[in-house]
Amino acid sequence: MAQVEYKGKVFNLDEDGFIDSFDNWCPEWVQYVKESEGIQELTEEHWKIIHVLQDYYRKHGIAPMVRILTKVTGYKLKYIYELFPSGPGKGACKMAGLPKPTGCV
Amino acid sequence: MPFDPSDIMKDRITDIGPPKYDKFFPPVIKENYGKWKYHEILEPGVLVHVSETGAEVYTVRVGAARLLSVDLIRDICDIADKHCDGYVRWTTRNNIEFLVDDKAKLKPLIDELKSRGNWFPIGGTGASVTNVVHTQGWIHCHTPAIDASGIVKAVMDELFEYFGSHKLPAQVRISLACCLNMCGAVHCSDIAILGVHRKPPIIEHERVQNVCEIPLVIAACPTAAIKPKKVGDYKSVEINENRCMFCGNCYTMCPALPLADGEGDGIALWIGGKVSNSRVPPKFSKLAVPYIPNEPPRWPTTVQTIKKMLETYASDAKRYERIGEWIERIGWEKFFEKTGIEFRHEHIDDYRLAMTTWRTTTQFRF
Ligand code: SF4
Ligand code: SF4
Repeated sequence: MAQVEYKGKVFNLDEDGFIDSFDNWCPEWVQYVKESEGIQELTEEHWKIIHVLQDYYRKHGIAPMVRILTKVTGYKLKYIYELFPSGPGKGACKMAGLPKPTGCV
Repeated sequence: MPFDPSDIMKDRITDIGPPKYDKFFPPVIKENYGKWKYHEILEPGVLVHVSETGAEVYTVRVGAARLLSVDLIRDICDIADKHCDGYVRWTTRNNIEFLVDDKAKLKPLIDELKSRGNWFPIGGTGASVTNVVHTQGWIHCHTPAIDASGIVKAVMDELFEYFGSHKLPAQVRISLACCLNMCGAVHCSDIAILGVHRKPPIIEHERVQNVCEIPLVIAACPTAAIKPKKVGDYKSVEINENRCMFCGNCYTMCPALPLADGEGDGIALWIGGKVSNSRVPPKFSKLAVPYIPNEPPRWPTTVQTIKKMLETYASDAKRYERIGEWIERIGWEKFFEKTGIEFRHEHIDDYRLAMTTWRTTTQFRF
């Protein structure tokens, strides 16, 4: 597991850059990852998606299906890709500290 | 415009799809598209299609390992440049086809292919064993119970005479999948090679809550063997080993439940599937042999069992009869008798709709 330090915080990452545990998430993590995810400036809309993902994960133990994410946030999938160029899984879930998506992806 | 990692969206091209299929048509195909009148198989691996316009196209089909280096693809391109004006195509079973528009060009092409040792074996047409549709195996996937390329090579070596000949009652499709995700065609092939596990997953309790979405893991299990469980401080899962049939689905969803095992894993053979609608409707393949150990690098037991099933079929079936049709005609009890395969309790379906597969008639053969 790779270790990175950013603004005084230490993160342990897997080979795809997901953090080792949701419990180790902190706002600095989002700042650290944004660049590699192709995001110049974090807006309120980015944070809204991150918070929806985290709330859903805390409550249900899974990441929401894309249709739930679009319904709850009111953002169309196309717009989510504009905010997170690598998409809701690799982009938004990674920044929200959720586990890496599994299955035949 | 080189890729700029600091601005990944700059000059990004997207949603352009594949190039249009007819861009790479040989001229004779383009000119006669939709006008083909009839075709003939001239010899194993060699076809001719004749158009209403009188145009002819000759096709030479050659076997390929599917997993190819760029060097080999360049060799293929060289042959296509030399004989086919640079055109070449791949089939849905990953054979390669070289097309020429004149009978005079056929022999030089075949001579060239034959001059290259065993790199481009000609065949795969008609009542043959054509290429094996197969998967990733130990080359690239993380859920396999067996290898793909290795077994396919061993099987095709043994059945090579059936690739370049038409001695079978009908075509025999062999497929392989390295786990029961069944990527490819094993569920609908005349003979299918399938990787299976025989041991339940190991639960890495300290990792489950960090790398897995536990409800997904629970929902992944077809027999409901998984339930959530707190182990010490960890949120984890418990697997009822008496309900687990080692499908590995939970590992696909959760990296903390590995189940691959050198001794446990092996091969199940399936038989009698087809996808065409000719004569009888399409069929699923059915279990022929529940377990054969992994025997790298040549898998002799698997190879010999397949050969035995194939040759029993070849000597017993009627012309045009696919393996599934043959078995249905003679009855499964005769299939086991003729092939010498042992019938075991594993053959009897016990999954949900199993009842429909049991025999509800007095008709059987002693
Ligand atoms: S059949 Fe299973 S192991 Fe093989 S490539 Fe597909 S998912 Fe991977
Ligand atoms: S291997 Fe399959 S049957 Fe066994 S617990 Fe996992 S999902 Fe269930």
